Amino acid sequence: MKILVCLKQVPHQDARLDVRPDGGWIQEDTIKFEINSYDTYALEEALRVKDATQAEVVVVSIGPERVTQALRTALGMGADRAIHVKDPAVDGSDPLGIAKVLAAIAKAENPDLIFTGFMSDDGNFASVPPMLAELVGIPSATAAVQVERKNGTLSVSREIEGGAQEVVELTAPCLVAVQTGINQVRYASLKGIMAAKKKPLDLKTVADLGLSGQVGAGAAKIKVEKIAPPSKGSGAEMLTGSTDQIVSGIVSKIKELGLL
Amino acid sequence: MGTILIVAEIQGGKIREASFELASIAQKLAAAGGYQVRSLLAGKGVAALAEEFAKKGGGDVYAAEHDSLASYCVETASRAIRAAVDASGAELILLSNTPSGWDVAPRIAAALDAAFVSDCFKLDLEGGKLVCHRRVFNGKLDARVTTSGPRTVVTVQPGAASPFAGSTSGKVTPLAVELPAGARARFVAVKIAESKGVDLSKADIIVSGGRGVGAPEKFPEVIQPLADALGGAMGASRPVVDAGWLPHHYQVGSSGQVVQPKLYIAAGISGAIQHLVGMKTSNYIIAINKDPDAPIFEVANLGVVGDLFEIVPALTKAVLAAKG
Repeated sequence: MKILVCLKQVPHQDARLDVRPDGGWIQEDTIKFEINSYDTYALEEALRVKDATQAEVVVVSIGPERVTQALRTALGMGADRAIHVKDPAVDGSDPLGIAKVLAAIAKAENPDLIFTGFMSDDGNFASVPPMLAELVGIPSATAAVQVERKNGTLSVSREIEGGAQEVVELTAPCLVAVQTGINQVRYASLKGIMAAKKKPLDLKTVADLGLSGQVGAGAAKIKVEKIAPPSKGSGAEMLTGSTDQIVSGIVSKIKELGLL
Repeated sequence: MGTILIVAEIQGGKIREASFELASIAQKLAAAGGYQVRSLLAGKGVAALAEEFAKKGGGDVYAAEHDSLASYCVETASRAIRAAVDASGAELILLSNTPSGWDVAPRIAAALDAAFVSDCFKLDLEGGKLVCHRRVFNGKLDARVTTSGPRTVVTVQPGAASPFAGSTSGKVTPLAVELPAGARARFVAVKIAESKGVDLSKADIIVSGGRGVGAPEKFPEVIQPLADALGGAMGASRPVVDAGWLPHHYQVGSSGQVVQPKLYIAAGISGAIQHLVGMKTSNYIIAINKDPDAPIFEVANLGVVGDLFEIVPALTKAVLAAKG
């Protein structure tokens, strides 16, 4: 069995978000990056299947040189092989462009299962995974909080509203986009990190994938024109001063509400 | 100028409020940009609902009636929506960003090679061009997104627009949807959450902690004492539950409990949309966070930029003193 896990490297969740002067995105040159939180859960889910069945876990990520670190981390955690699509021609792709790149990888790898995160911590588009499944022609389920394998089918519990779950059965090959908290993500062991250095990490370009002219900014059908801090509504009354002054202010408010 | 197709959703035998919100958006765009509004209502026993939606902003409604459409499933929903897109020739397809919407909409967009913008809180027409507004970085920044190409699919955040309040007239047409055997996705069941622990929806006062609380033991050490002092209940944001620091029944948010207490105190909670959805209609919200740009301050009535480990214990002490 082969499992393909799609990873995205995103700004660290505590990174300073300074908007670029052109407003097109945040300044990325000076911040730290990490594997998208949702994707770490997807990788862990794949590694658990591997622990149980000796599946091959292949990780793929798209981006500049720094993405190698994310892929090595994944290999250190136990993935068998990594693919790095490193090509400026991908820059400016919309989610559909990214999905086309991943679909080309998936068509070449022909995995039984594809695990991804539900959305990315930066764009929050939650678009690529179902698009990828559509392009590859396989069923998908998003916001998965539980995945059970049963002989060629996957029983997936999807998180819906109010703490309820919707159970769907998918016939493999299929794609599951996982929610955070689906499992507890393992740390790479020292042994794993050392072994990772020898595991295959293959580079691909857009031309290698036969996608020249079909991805990147020129092909994108959506464009993030400008990002900016949200305009504050009527805004909170902000309390400042010493801890005592602040606490005093809060206690007064609670008394005013008739709750103290 | 074109056709808008609303993909309406049925929940508990009724049309979801979010679908009336889509109708409101569609009718505004139609008035401004000369679009025609059509809708799809797919399910089992939809005739009466289709008539209702046609009168309440849905315009001309396609009624796709089939047993297999009774519960959401990605394959059947996909086929029904594709059939409606083909029948209507719609250039703009609107869905709500609900668990069904976010599951199927991207697939529709990929199949149509269309522009796709998810989770928008506002749609405008500027010079005849669609401009979509959505949040990025877990609610911290607003993004203005434009689209190109002949067709666009958009999902809209539930609750972002007011439901359509006017009346329209439209005709209902049956829509045949091909649902061949050999489906590779099958709806099995809905599992309702077991109610465990405190029912937060009944608490008058909730003190919630987020990732900023830093470690599991800080919940009983720092957050619970304040909740106890106020005679309230403790809650948590999603990352706390994901990390295994507290069980799921403490989670406040769209996939946990939605609460409306008299007082909601959020300590160390950034304010991602999924959390805000769960508490923003609280009567009074106090937020404590060391990040002045935390989105939680947008819904808070009272905000403190500071260290919760200094403020919360001091507040607990002061509350106990005030109670004598």
